[in-house]
Amino acid sequence: MKILATYNIKGGVGKTASAVNLAHVAAGRGDRVLLWDLDPQGAATFYFRVKPKVKGGGEALLSGRRDLAEVIKGSDYDNLDVVPADFSYRHLDLMLDDAKKPLARLRKVLASVRDEYDYVFLDCAPSISLTSESVFRAADALLVPVIPTTLSIRTFDQLDSFVEQNPEIVRKLKILGFFSMADTRKRLHRELAEELRQQRPELLATQIPMDTDIERMGVHRQPVTAMFPRSRPARAYQSLWDEILERL
Amino acid sequence: MSEIHRFVVEEPLHVEPDGLATQLGLSETEVEEIDRQLFDTPDGRLHAMGATLEVRSPLEFPLMRTLVWMRGGQVLASARVDAASVPELGGSLPPGPAFDRLREVIEMRRLLPIARLRSRLSQAAHLDSEEKTTARVTIDVSTLADGGALPALLEVRAVRGYESETDRLLAQLGGREGFGPTDLTCADLARSALGSPPFVPSRFSVHLDHDASAGEVWMVVLRELQHAMVANFSGTIEDVDSEYLHDFRVAVRRTRSVLQEGREVLDPAARDHFRTGFKWLGDITTPTRDADVHLLDYPHMLSALSPEYAAALAPLGELLIARQRSCQAQLALDLRSMRRAQLGAEWAEFLAGEGPWAGRSEAAADAHRPARRVVAARIARAHTRLVRDGRAIDRTSPPVALHDLRKDAKRLRYLLECFGSLFDAEVLAVAVRPLKSLQDVLGEFQDTEVQAHALAGFGRQLDDEGASTETILAMGGAIEQLSVRSSRARREFASRFTAFDHVDVRRAYDRLTKAPKKEPRSTRPGRPRR
Repeated sequence: MKILATYNIKGGVGKTASAVNLAHVAAGRGDRVLLWDLDPQGAATFYFRVKPKVKGGGEALLSGRRDLAEVIKGSDYDNLDVVPADFSYRHLDLMLDDAKKPLARLRKVLASVRDEYDYVFLDCAPSISLTSESVFRAADALLVPVIPTTLSIRTFDQLDSFVEQNPEIVRKLKILGFFSMADTRKRLHRELAEELRQQRPELLATQIPMDTDIERMGVHRQPVTAMFPRSRPARAYQSLWDEILERL
Repeated sequence: MSEIHRFVVEEPLHVEPDGLATQLGLSETEVEEIDRQLFDTPDGRLHAMGATLEVRSPLEFPLMRTLVWMRGGQVLASARVDAASVPELGGSLPPGPAFDRLREVIEMRRLLPIARLRSRLSQAAHLDSEEKTTARVTIDVSTLADGGALPALLEVRAVRGYESETDRLLAQLGGREGFGPTDLTCADLARSALGSPPFVPSRFSVHLDHDASAGEVWMVVLRELQHAMVANFSGTIEDVDSEYLHDFRVAVRRTRSVLQEGREVLDPAARDHFRTGFKWLGDITTPTRDADVHLLDYPHMLSALSPEYAAALAPLGELLIARQRSCQAQLALDLRSMRRAQLGAEWAEFLAGEGPWAGRSEAAADAHRPARRVVAARIARAHTRLVRDGRAIDRTSPPVALHDLRKDAKRLRYLLECFGSLFDAEVLAVAVRPLKSLQDVLGEFQDTEVQAHALAGFGRQLDDEGASTETILAMGGAIEQLSVRSSRARREFASRFTAFDHVDVRRAYDRLTKAPKKEPRSTRPGRPRR
């Protein structure tokens, strides 16, 4: 079981859209996929039409009072299950702080379903906190969507410096950055993307375009890869998943 | 994996296929009109798990082919394949973890086409008030490629966390006129409509009458083994996959073993005659089986070597393929020979109680004794011998001692497998488990020794043919790997034998072989119930 977290310190960069669509692409190919919506806003949960409620809240899961398997819900798609968001997740940092070995907690909770799934996607809230550090420890790879703007790129640098300063937390974590919400009509996006690719050749080649089909996910409550499987963003998510698989 | 519930909808459908989902209150999410070619292994491994493997092409885009492994409408693995691609062996399947799971299921078996269908496949959902899917339903309305009709099939999958909603849907479907619950897949329905022959089972299974006499039980077992030989005969000649020959050889070996154990049960002249015949039959299959084993083990051998050594071993791979083909050609000739045909005809006569052997086994001393008592005595003897010989083996014993012990173990295992249904299943399981574990390590020890010896011979041959130094060095590396495995198996032997010789296991053998207080003497024939 590989654990992949969509993560960026900054919000609104396409983390949830990436988690939802990549999870759907992987499940469509027959891989057994679990998506855990760790963001108390619950956008991924909303897209999958699942009620944003976990019995006992996040504390019950982290303390081990409730098994993860008990709260998993099937999505509308084969091979794709969801651990819904819960409003209590806004206090996840405090819950982890109270737990023993907080950094290892998330990985331990996920270990209980390791034989059931090939891939777990963690859709994280934007921050650097104890929760995100616990995610870093649990994950095999961070999928980092980056909008080609100056501010977004700075946040990528911040993540880099965190990783450098905390090697004991990230261990063997792979960081797979890719451009998201890229508008190729904008000169600034094109130039910044080109510049950053030169600085960071390890960035994934596929970029997710800015596209109204992605925005319509909220209206239809479906991944774009399910709604419009032959659309430009859907094909981009397919390619992105191929690339991620090669790097894992 | 979701729980699957299936219903066949008997003809005539009360509505057109495209109206069925609506009539059932389901929301149709996707409809495909496709041509499908279905595949399964010769022993029906996909059938056994309620799954299908199919190459699909949409009617509108016949060249856009997708290989889909599915169960109850749920895609377990899927990949685009090119127009010429047909799934055959595990190695021909697409890469990735999803298809790795299929590779684990089919192992070394070949996928064979079983039917062609034209289908209207409708994916539908049972929704709750928030339009969340609470159960998934596939409605499969198919005809055979020649137009023959099949009953419509509904496959319902529960969505995790919404089981009570699924139960309500199942109750609703079960109450509808014309809807019948079934375990059959579309492949089963197609095979049934086509009148396809049954799958060839790999596992030997015969249920014996506890009250039958030894003479009767021996014949029932030998007839079952003859069925296994016949079922695997043509697949062995045609070399469909290596498992046909494997299963054919196992049936021959078991036959020889049952004949050997048939002292005082079968007519001695017939027993000697057929033991000689089946020894010959077993012997002619050995070179091909050895060649198959080399080929099956080749990828394992490569994976244990460094990439440079693995690449240098390519000439060995070619040699192994050529050798397998040559052995297989000779085997096909031998199996089509007059001698084999005569053995088969005589054996059929013997099993039917006809010809020169008719009635001669009646005079054998144990033929009319209760089978359980006779078999129990045979098991006790084989067990005692295995324990005695195993205890005599220590670190200084020569390899031949372990090879001989392997034969002892096989003899006991065949007795337990062929006649096991005469005994308590739970006690039998306690007796068989550690024996199997012991056999695994003895098998690994012998196989690696034999392979290392064979590889040394291949190495000399390749050297004579001018193979590169890298290839010869790589061969040395491969032999070294086999030697490591062999040493590991040798070290492992002591603990496996200790487990087999444990007091609990010995008690299980005692319980198997202890004669019941009162044995009925019966002449009722044994009835095979499969």
